[in-house]
Amino acid sequence: MAYEHPHSTVRIAKHPIHPMLVPFPIAFFVGTLLTDIAYWRTAEMMWADFSAWLVSAGVVLGFIAAIAGLIDFLSDRLVRRQTSAWLHAIGNLVVLTLATINMFMHTRDAWTSIVPWGLTLSAAVVVLLLFTTWMGWSMVYRHGVGVENAGVVE
Amino acid sequence: MISRPFSRKAAGGAALCAFLLSSTLTMAQNTGGQNAGGFDPNSQIGPNPILPEPQQYLFPPMNLAKVVGWKEGETPTVPAGLKIEALATGLQHPRSLYVLPNGDVLVVESQGPGVEPVKRPKDLVMGWIESMVTGGGGGGGESNRITLLRDADGDGKPETQSVFLDHLNSPFGVALVGSDLYVANTDSIMRYHYNDGDTKIADPGTPLTALPGGPIDHHWTKSLVASPDGSLLYVGVGSNSNVSENGMEAEKNRAAIWEVDRATGRWRIFASGLRNPNGLSFEPVTGALWTVVNERDELGPDLVPDYMTSVKDGAFYGWPYSYYGQHIDPRVQPQRPDLVQKAIPPDYALSSHVAPLGMTFYTADNLPAKYKGGAFVGEHGSWDRDKFNGYKVVFVPFTDGHPSGKAEDVVTGFLDANEAARGRPVGVAVDKTGALLIADDVGNTVWRVTGGAPQTAAVR
Repeated sequence: MAYEHPHSTVRIAKHPIHPMLVPFPIAFFVGTLLTDIAYWRTAEMMWADFSAWLVSAGVVLGFIAAIAGLIDFLSDRLVRRQTSAWLHAIGNLVVLTLATINMFMHTRDAWTSIVPWGLTLSAAVVVLLLFTTWMGWSMVYRHGVGVENAGVVE
Repeated sequence: MISRPFSRKAAGGAALCAFLLSSTLTMAQNTGGQNAGGFDPNSQIGPNPILPEPQQYLFPPMNLAKVVGWKEGETPTVPAGLKIEALATGLQHPRSLYVLPNGDVLVVESQGPGVEPVKRPKDLVMGWIESMVTGGGGGGGESNRITLLRDADGDGKPETQSVFLDHLNSPFGVALVGSDLYVANTDSIMRYHYNDGDTKIADPGTPLTALPGGPIDHHWTKSLVASPDGSLLYVGVGSNSNVSENGMEAEKNRAAIWEVDRATGRWRIFASGLRNPNGLSFEPVTGALWTVVNERDELGPDLVPDYMTSVKDGAFYGWPYSYYGQHIDPRVQPQRPDLVQKAIPPDYALSSHVAPLGMTFYTADNLPAKYKGGAFVGEHGSWDRDKFNGYKVVFVPFTDGHPSGKAEDVVTGFLDANEAARGRPVGVAVDKTGALLIADDVGNTVWRVTGGAPQTAAVR
C-alpha cells in the first residue's frame, strides 16, 4: 500500500536537521535538573554554575531546533495533519518558555537561583519533555515524518 | 490520519500557552523583580533606614550610566558659597587621593586586576554589557601608578604633575607614617622610603603584609589608614563575590577590616561581615575608626542600603548571612544563625546602591563652618536600579563625633541632563589649604572644591 511520508523541509542532503538538533536541548535540560538537585542537596556552588551553563545552552540550542522544527511543521500540510505534531509543537513552545524563564532564574546569585523556583521549573521542563519527545518519536517512528518515500517498497 | 479543524486546535494551543506563560510570570513576579512604586530613597539615609521586603528579579537588573566625559569648561555643580575647579585632568582612572604633609597631592590611578574568571553565562553577558555602556570614556593609557601634583602656592593650579611611583598592582590605599610610605596594592601592602619633598620614589619597595588578591579578586580596592599613633595600619579587604556565589572558601579573611602591626607586618581581623569597606578614616573627636561599605546587590532597587559606620573591634556586621543586624539574606546557604545572632547594625545608612568608595572627615577652615567635623562621602553611583542613585559627593554632619542629621548633596552634576555620566566620584581628601579634593575615575579628573575664598575668586 502506498503511503506518502510527510516530508521535512529543513534538510542537509535529505537528512532532516530538526532531529539532529533536538538531542542537545533535551540532554541539557535533563542535565540542568540533575545539577539543580545536586546543588539543592549540597549547596556546593559548582553545581549551580553547571546548571546555569546547561540551562542557557539548552535554551539557545532549543530555539535553533525549534526554528527548524517550525519550518518543517509549517511547510507541509501532511505534517500538520498529525495530531502528534500539534502536541509536539505546542508542548515544546511551553517547554521553551518555561526554560527561558528558568534561565533567567538561574542568573540569580547562590541559593535562590535554584531553590525553590529554579529546581521546580527544571523538573517541570523535564516532565513536559517526556511527553513532547514521545510525540516527536510518534511523528517519526509511527508516521514516518521526514522519512524518504524512495526507501519504501511499493 | 484524522484531521481536526485547524482553527480550534490552534486556538486551544494558544490558550494553553498563554495560561502557562502568564501563570509562570505571575509566580515569578510574586517572588520579586518589580520596582517598589514610589519608594523614597531618602528614607534610607540616616541611622534607621526603612528596609522593604527583599525582591528577587526575573530579569537581571542592569542600568549603568553611559559614559560621555566632561566637555571643555564643564564642571560638577556645587551649592552657592562653594567653588569647584579641576585640579588635574587627563589622568588614567584616578581612584583615590592622599595629601602629603608638605601639601603635595598623590593621585592613585588604578585599574582592576581583571583576573575574575567567567564562572557563569551571567558573568559573560554582564561583562559585555558593561564594556558596551561604559566604554565611551577616556583612559586606556598607563595606569596602576601614583601621580604627584605639586601646587606649592595653593592656587589650585599645580606647577608640576609627574609620575611619583609606577608599576603597581591595582593600588588604592596610601598612608604615610614618618618616612615610611605605605601603598596598598590589591595583593600586598608595600613600604617605601619617602623624604619630605620627594617627587619620585626610587626605592623598589619592601612588602609588609600579603593581602587577599587573586584568584577572582572581585572587590579589589584595598583602603588603607594608619592609626593616629602610627603603630598600626587598618586595611579594608572587600568580599570576593556579591553574596557568597563564588563559594565561602573564596571569602577567607575577606569582607573584613584588617589591623596590621606596622613594625612586624603581623595582622589580625579587626572587624568582619563588611562586604566592601572603603574610605577608612579616623573620626577626629572620638578617635573611632570609620568606614563606608558597599552592601549587597540584587535584592531589589531599595535593598540593601550602603552605609557608613564606626567600626568596633571584633564586631561582625552580617555579610553575607544577614544585613542591618538580623535581616537574613535568603540567597546564602548554609546559613549561620550563630553569626547572625551577633551581627550588629551599622551606624548610618547612605541609601541603596549609591556605592560609597571614599570618605574623609573635614577639620579645616577653607569651606563654610557648617562642614567642620562632618564627613564627605564620594558615591560612585548605582548600576543595578532603574533610577540612578549616588553619582555625587554628599556631606554627613557630625556633632560630638556622631552623625547628627541628614546627608546633603555637595558636589552633583556628574550625570548630565540625559543621565549620561560625565564623571563618577570615588576617593575624597582635604588638601593643605583646606579644599576638598575628589578623584573622578570616569572623567579622569581631580576636582577641587573651595569656599570661594578671595585668592581663588579671580581664577577662571
